[in-house]
Amino acid sequence: MDIKFEGEHLLPGSLGQFFIILSFGSALLAAISYYFASVKDLPDNSWRNLGRIATWVNALAVIGIGSCLFYIIYNHLFEYHYAWAHSSKSLPTHYIISSFWEGQEGSFWLWMFWQSLLANILVWKAKSWENSVLAIVMLSQVFLASMLLGVEIVGTRIGSSPFILLRDAIQAPIFSRPDYLSLVADGNGLNPLLQNYWMVIHPPTLFLGFASMIVPFAYAIAGLWEKRFKDWTAVALPWALFAVMILGAGIIMGSFWAYEALNFGGFWAWDPVENASIIPWLTLIAAVHVILAYRHSGHSYFTATFLTLISFVLVLYASFLTRSGILGETSVHSFTDLGMFGHLIAYIGVFVVLTVGFLVARWKEMPITKKDEETYSREFWLFVGAIVLALSCGQIMYTTSGPVINAILGTKIAPPIDVIAHYNKWQVPFAVVIALISGFTQFLKYKNTDPKKFFSSIIITLIISILLTAAFVFIAKVYSNLMYIVLTFAGFFSLVCNGKILIEAFKGKWKLAGSSVAHMGFALLVVGALVAAATNNVISLNRTGVGYGEEFAKENNPKENIMLYENEPVSMDKYTVTYLGDSIVGPNTFYLVNYKVIDNGKVKENFTLYPNAQQNAKMRSIVASPDTRHYLLNDIYTHVSSVPLQQKSNGHQQEIDEQQNSDDAYDTPSASMVSPGDTVKYRNGYILVKGVNRNAKIEKIELAPGDLAIGLDLEVHNNSGKVYSAQPLYLIKGGNVFDFGKAIDEEGLKLRFSKIDPQQGKLELTVLQKKPAEKKWIVMKAIKFPYINLYWGGSIIMVIGFLLSIFRRNKEVKTA
Amino acid sequence: MKKSSIIGIIIIAIAIGVIISTYADSSTYGTFADAQKTEDELHVVGKLDKGKELIYNPKHDANYFAFYMHDNKGKECKVVFNGTKPQDFERSEQIVLTGKMVGEEFHASKILMKCPSKYNKNEVEVQGAGASEVKI
Repeated sequence: MDIKFEGEHLLPGSLGQFFIILSFGSALLAAISYYFASVKDLPDNSWRNLGRIATWVNALAVIGIGSCLFYIIYNHLFEYHYAWAHSSKSLPTHYIISSFWEGQEGSFWLWMFWQSLLANILVWKAKSWENSVLAIVMLSQVFLASMLLGVEIVGTRIGSSPFILLRDAIQAPIFSRPDYLSLVADGNGLNPLLQNYWMVIHPPTLFLGFASMIVPFAYAIAGLWEKRFKDWTAVALPWALFAVMILGAGIIMGSFWAYEALNFGGFWAWDPVENASIIPWLTLIAAVHVILAYRHSGHSYFTATFLTLISFVLVLYASFLTRSGILGETSVHSFTDLGMFGHLIAYIGVFVVLTVGFLVARWKEMPITKKDEETYSREFWLFVGAIVLALSCGQIMYTTSGPVINAILGTKIAPPIDVIAHYNKWQVPFAVVIALISGFTQFLKYKNTDPKKFFSSIIITLIISILLTAAFVFIAKVYSNLMYIVLTFAGFFSLVCNGKILIEAFKGKWKLAGSSVAHMGFALLVVGALVAAATNNVISLNRTGVGYGEEFAKENNPKENIMLYENEPVSMDKYTVTYLGDSIVGPNTFYLVNYKVIDNGKVKENFTLYPNAQQNAKMRSIVASPDTRHYLLNDIYTHVSSVPLQQKSNGHQQEIDEQQNSDDAYDTPSASMVSPGDTVKYRNGYILVKGVNRNAKIEKIELAPGDLAIGLDLEVHNNSGKVYSAQPLYLIKGGNVFDFGKAIDEEGLKLRFSKIDPQQGKLELTVLQKKPAEKKWIVMKAIKFPYINLYWGGSIIMVIGFLLSIFRRNKEVKTA
Repeated sequence: MKKSSIIGIIIIAIAIGVIISTYADSSTYGTFADAQKTEDELHVVGKLDKGKELIYNPKHDANYFAFYMHDNKGKECKVVFNGTKPQDFERSEQIVLTGKMVGEEFHASKILMKCPSKYNKNEVEVQGAGASEVKI
């Protein structure tokens, strides 16, 4: 049965699918061509030229895929599952970019894009390394392209295409209707948490970091393959530093996004997805250090090669963890399985085989020294530092891999109850050792150092560091735990040692600047993270004492959320906090929370934070994002935890209309006997009885003789000086009594002329007042993060240090 | 002894330490019945009882949230959480609780939910003639 569907745009999808096949084919061709170019020593460059053409075509195909997908999302072509699942019509353009890589397919494309860009740079720059290095890079590109194929081969679907149609992706009866598309009103939209500007820039940076790790890997393999054992270390070094810098920046951006946009109250939570990105980063940093040790001393060749190779394998492992759905129960934000489980394992498998195969095949020829390093030598401590980094990485990996171990062994071990404490227990000592080594190694020379000279030069820095540590520990109040003090000391020691080198760099030894700046950044980062994590405190403590039994309070933390009513100031820490109201911008509701510091009646500080929440009427839930007041030395971080849910706007209107017809919406009426000139009070002012209109007329009602229609002339004065006039009517017709009340909606009033008392000559005025609108409220949490700027500042300094090192090492390659 | 052997021994020692500590820190997945037998905190996986009400009244106490959950064996238990109601809670497909039993109530210190939400559930919302909203 063939149905002719109306309104579908099939061209961009078919074109996109064509580009996917083309990118796969060209990557395969490039890998094969470069392989033959490497192994066959032909006088002409025919294989190499073919490889180049295929690499260029591959780049065009990848750009083609991206353009088609962007066209589909940008034009809201919801006949495509990807556009329907990840975007909606109301999404602003810059978030359309984020919705592009919200899904797995889009993020694979991003990776492919960077990898093809790097491949083209290598075609241009790699010179004698081109053939072997590109054979490896394009092999990786083959795997990435295959992830997007979405083609059935022998009954199993290979990859998942972003160009699959909605009606093919989902089975539903409406897809048998030719006009189904007119019924699909809008897409699902982008997850509100990802609608943040950091989400526009964080994924591309992270994926550039992941993608660039293929380059040192490819150089290491090429070095083993072509037996250019020493050469590859020089050319791979700037690339490894580049990968470390970009991936580091990407991780920090993710951390900043979590801090600014998520409300889990911190910058690092040891979530498996975060861990997955840091694992390869640690091993590649270790690799950079042992490559240096090898280049200067000839030691540690195997360690350098192995760490370089394993880093990329771990990138693949990290992708497997986050993309296969295996983390399911342990992580909040991993992807769901797209049926790529086996496919991802195959990708890892091939690169593990390459790694192990080449290491085993070249084992005997590798320049491995039999002699031990000298204890007082720089290379020895570079090696030890790298080992500590690798161990730190191993610990993170082991705990994160819990679900993988469960899947392999069939066990059912749950992650630690207190994940953060578990990781900190291990990572704090590792950080101490790494910071110390990164400090004193600066005073050691390659090959050998005179111990006396070493100790005499280090003693001054040691004393300075101890004094600084003591002062800082006292000011930042981190003396509660011995380990904190030790870590602070390690950080300051590294800072002082590397600071000394930096001063020498300023005196003219410029090439030393890179590493010392990076080390100082790392030291600041560690100290900042420690202080912010160890001494952050929730300041929104609930002191109202509303509780649920002493039993509960005994075992639980003081309650950490406070309730704020509109315009009712509450005292919190040194602040007086007032919820001032809210304003709605697009899908977000911003809650205005005013902070004041009042000292002796004087307002010393006054600022307003705008934590926001996206209301989702359909789901009756909110997604909250924090707002933070940044000071130089600490941050006040605030987010709403609970707010009253808004009604859908049209539904709300209807509700009001209905209520106006009955008196239900009003409080119990209050009647009073009045004469002209009297006043009656109501909640927001008073009502003045001006007089009686004996000749009142009522539309459409004819008055017969004997009937009576009387109006009561009223003036309503509210407290802010506004005046309204109203004339409720009293009618006697055919012996029956009617009254026609008047409503003043602005004041929430309804006035009735309900009775005439002829004996006393008094009139009865009944006043109905709307129930007071429910007072607005929010439930809010506020956390103080001290010294968090050391963490961010340290990260930025570290990235700058990497950048300086890249310049230096790149220059060495050129001059060598 | 060579330095490399010393380093090797230290590495192995730390690796063993990591494995033991992970094992010691790890908890177990269990049921409400298991939770009743032990004093320790453990993980309970289950589903929210959507038929019973969620008790959350921020105006009374912003930090008290209670609900009923069935564990994987089908046993129902009241769960009390000392905090605000997590976002999207009603729509959770699966809940992983960390905590322990206190009397007849399970006191959770952490709630992790698996939420299909609208972001990855294959559910097309159709608007069209006749029916105002149809879910398929």
